[in-house]
Amino acid sequence: MAEQVISPDLNFVKDIIASGGDTLKKCFQCATCTVVCNATPNNRPFPRKEMIYAQWGLKDKLISSPDVWLCHNCNDCTKYCPRGARPGDVLSTMRQKFIQENAMPSIMGKVVTQPKMTLIALAIPLVLFLLVLGLTGHLRTPEGQIVYSKFFPIPYIEAVFMSAVGLAGIAYLASLYRFWNSMSKGNNQPYTKGIVPAFIETLIEFAKHSRFAKCGPNADRRIVHMLVFYGFVGLLITTIWVTVYYYAPKINTPIALSDPLKWVANISAASLLIGGVLLALNKMKDKGFVSKSSTFDWIFAIMILLLCITGILTELIRLAGIATLAYPIYFIHLLFVFYTIVFFPYSKLSHMGYRALAITYSKMTNRDIQI
Amino acid sequence: MEKKYGVYVCKGCGINDAVDVERLANVATKDMKMPSCKTHDFLCGPEGVQLIKDDIAKEGVNTIIIAACSPRVKYEEFDFPGTITERVNIREFVAWSQPPKTEDTQNLASDYLMMSITKAQKVDLPQPNILEGISSTILVIGGGITGMTAALDAANAGSKVVLIEKESQLGGFVNKLYKKIPTSEFKEPLIIDTDIDKMVKQVEGHSNIKVYKSAKLEKTDGQPGLYDVTISANGASETIKIGAIVMATGWKPYDASKIDHLGYGKFKNVVTNIEFEELAKKGNGKILRPSDGKEAKRVAFIQCAGQRDPNHLPYCSSMCCVTSLKQAGYVRQNPDAVAMIFYIDIRTPGRLELYYKEAQNNPGIMLTKADVKTVSEAGNGNLYVEAENTLLGEKIKAEADLVVLATGIVPTTKESQEYQDGLTQAASKGDEAKKAYLESTPKPEFILNLSYRQGPEIPSLEGAYGFADSNFICFQYETRRTGIYAAGAVHQPMNMMEAQQDAAGAAFKAIQCLDHISKGIAVHPRAWDETFPDPLLIRCTACKRCTEECPFGAIDEDEKGIPYYKVNRCRRCGTCMGACPERIVAFKDYSVDIIGSMVKAIDVPEEGFRIVAFTCENDAYPALDTAGINRKNIDPSVRFIPLRCLGGMNLVWVADALSRGIDGVLLLGCKFGENYQCHFVKGSELAEYRLGKVGETLNRLQLESERVQMLQVSISDSDKLPGLINEFVEKVKEIGPNPFKGF
Repeated sequence: MAEQVISPDLNFVKDIIASGGDTLKKCFQCATCTVVCNATPNNRPFPRKEMIYAQWGLKDKLISSPDVWLCHNCNDCTKYCPRGARPGDVLSTMRQKFIQENAMPSIMGKVVTQPKMTLIALAIPLVLFLLVLGLTGHLRTPEGQIVYSKFFPIPYIEAVFMSAVGLAGIAYLASLYRFWNSMSKGNNQPYTKGIVPAFIETLIEFAKHSRFAKCGPNADRRIVHMLVFYGFVGLLITTIWVTVYYYAPKINTPIALSDPLKWVANISAASLLIGGVLLALNKMKDKGFVSKSSTFDWIFAIMILLLCITGILTELIRLAGIATLAYPIYFIHLLFVFYTIVFFPYSKLSHMGYRALAITYSKMTNRDIQI
Repeated sequence: MEKKYGVYVCKGCGINDAVDVERLANVATKDMKMPSCKTHDFLCGPEGVQLIKDDIAKEGVNTIIIAACSPRVKYEEFDFPGTITERVNIREFVAWSQPPKTEDTQNLASDYLMMSITKAQKVDLPQPNILEGISSTILVIGGGITGMTAALDAANAGSKVVLIEKESQLGGFVNKLYKKIPTSEFKEPLIIDTDIDKMVKQVEGHSNIKVYKSAKLEKTDGQPGLYDVTISANGASETIKIGAIVMATGWKPYDASKIDHLGYGKFKNVVTNIEFEELAKKGNGKILRPSDGKEAKRVAFIQCAGQRDPNHLPYCSSMCCVTSLKQAGYVRQNPDAVAMIFYIDIRTPGRLELYYKEAQNNPGIMLTKADVKTVSEAGNGNLYVEAENTLLGEKIKAEADLVVLATGIVPTTKESQEYQDGLTQAASKGDEAKKAYLESTPKPEFILNLSYRQGPEIPSLEGAYGFADSNFICFQYETRRTGIYAAGAVHQPMNMMEAQQDAAGAAFKAIQCLDHISKGIAVHPRAWDETFPDPLLIRCTACKRCTEECPFGAIDEDEKGIPYYKVNRCRRCGTCMGACPERIVAFKDYSVDIIGSMVKAIDVPEEGFRIVAFTCENDAYPALDTAGINRKNIDPSVRFIPLRCLGGMNLVWVADALSRGIDGVLLLGCKFGENYQCHFVKGSELAEYRLGKVGETLNRLQLESERVQMLQVSISDSDKLPGLINEFVEKVKEIGPNPFKGF
């Protein structure tokens, strides 16, 4: 193996310690974590080496590592660590740091990933919406039957969201490209499989959540994650569906409860709500060992719940016909929608892309485990 | 003293079930013509002891033979001052290791009784040899942390202390330190002031301590309690009386320029751990590197530099890991600086593990296991450390502003030991070689300058790497010079905290030594023994074997080569007794004649086998006792005779035994070699050496050499020892009976 030049980055060590990996320095490299981990490949396993890289502040090695993303945070390592170094939490902190590090523009990485900036992050859509609605004279409660497009006309929504999502999407792709580049260059391992079949395998794996199943103590987290995951997938489908209805059969909102679209939408919302609640409960549950979820993780969980609850309220209050309440709730709901989908590249949600690439890469380089 | 005998046989602990006690009593009164033999159910109980005490008081009994348990137990109950007391071990050696009530068992018990009565008949009551003019002053050599601690501990315990220091001020290595490791709790701050000045003040102001600075020991003459020590200080020489000596001369750092691959001497910014302390002290915590005076913000520490390496120091110096962790703390006083520690293993024994844990928590202290291969130049005075087999990867290269080599401890005794060993070797090749050696080899600085026949310093010891160490398992503070106690880093590699504990131990050992000497008993380990070697010098042939073989250098020679004993140096092992071809060395209760008579007291029947086993009292004998406690069966033909040390083994006993028809002789000694267990250093080894010459005797008698064998037994071998002994008996039985039987 080639000689590696090491240059410790003390600030990175301090940053990990300050952002949730406070036990990092306790690790004394016994590798119990690596032994108990079910998600680790046999050659060059993790998280032992990630722990010492982080102790030495070797950010470059870690940011280009697929292994940080192969971890599904089951915390078996944390449970069995004889020194209380909590590798699971340290790895989770690293992922948060690297989302921030790979973010484009990097200022957004700081705004969204740092807990104290959350309110600023929410202020962006607030100001934007107030501007749009104010300038177009819509900043008032419309008369008559509650139809949200009377308050925030669909073309406006589309203009605002589509441009924002488009920009975010480009930024996300750029971030992922940056990650892919650093990963493939940093590791320089020979490929034994093409990217397309590896990626397809990864998607199938995602659909089944089969890697989650490998993590022993994660059986319940797998269900929770599936509920949230498919909740999002369903809502994505409905969003596209609504747009199709709007332009093709010219079916306008509100859409009848009997419409299949509404079925999918409501089931998805319920799935996301149940998933979100279970996610929060899971974090609070006593697991018999110390493991801390970072504020970053908590903010994400709360945002999902707020998105979901405001969405459901938007529908229920509309059905109840309370206009004075319905429009403000709708407005708030839109803030969370914006937060979730436009800030997607910078929030916890972005792990989906990084993880997909890391797994694809590990499949391509024959470092994958048997799923 | 006219002897009045009293024989007592205990029936307790299963003895009565195993042997016919009445028959045994008859052996004493009829065969051995003892005036009386009393039996008792429970001899060590108050009633039994009173029975003996009454006989002493009323009948005037003064020579007591107690056939009961092992002499290793119940020694307080059977302690009758002013009498000769012999213990016959018929419990562990007979009742507990033989089938009950057989003829063999009975014979075994009766042989042991006869042997002990024979011994008691030959033994004289010892009179302690108390020399005149004993000094109780303790000399401490070395005014470092160890020496000062020893001096204060001894002085506070009431002893007069003389402390000599070769430098012009007290403090030793601690003077060079910037900070030290806290001794109580390992919480922040992890580096604290050494406060050595306070200790120096305490020592210099103590009414019981006299300090000589810039001083050297010119000569150490005499023996414990009666040393005449010549101290030269400030151009003047003074001879004073000293009782015991604590040697706390410490260590020197290993010469780092010998470690080629780590760049010391080649690059200015590669320093040793001691030089690093000086840098930190000079910069008052700021680490300004030697090449350009810039602050070093990336400092690499290379552990085990020239240590645990057969080409340099083969051992671990034990203090460098924790020292580097401490020094990493110096680096980290600058919050932007990092300390990288490359180690083989982090060795922080005992409570220091907590120190390691605390240091490890520091974000800027980075640790990895590594084999450091080279240190090379990186430009601008910076350096690359290249290492393999690290926790970070197979091969790494790290850039540092400054590299610190954790070099190890070389004891101050090493040079003089090497010089002396070289001299002995040269001398063995003849006078010319010796002369050439003396001319070509620079004489190192000696410490003790003893006027002992065996040489001026503590002799070297295999596996001690030049340290003034001894048998560390049992006797941590003893050197092989009685009355001289090594402490601190000259004794073993150790850190400051351990050195202070060691100093306390050595100080109290010195006090204990003087206490024993004032009572005329052996210092150690036979700390009850009032006997001493009393040779019949008129028959001495000046062969010098005793002076050469004495493990403690207790015997000097006069100008004619006739030995004379410095009795306070003697530990009463009897190695000289085994060495003497004229068999003139004797103790009041231990002599060639006494042991020989015991051998002769064994009843050798015409049918059946008899084996005699000369048994080391310190390891093999307790192992046999334990075997008895565990009811392990040993062949009943074996008779064990305890020896103070197998070094006292005289070949005449083998000849005596075999010529009387005894079929085999077994020597049970302790383990020897690097990890020797001998209480007297070389006894077992000497016995084996002497046994090498027994073939001659056997040939003369036309006997098979397999009839004599030596076994190395450690105290914990009780489980396998009976098997080994029985195997030997079987082998002798195969050879067949001794043809001398019946002559």
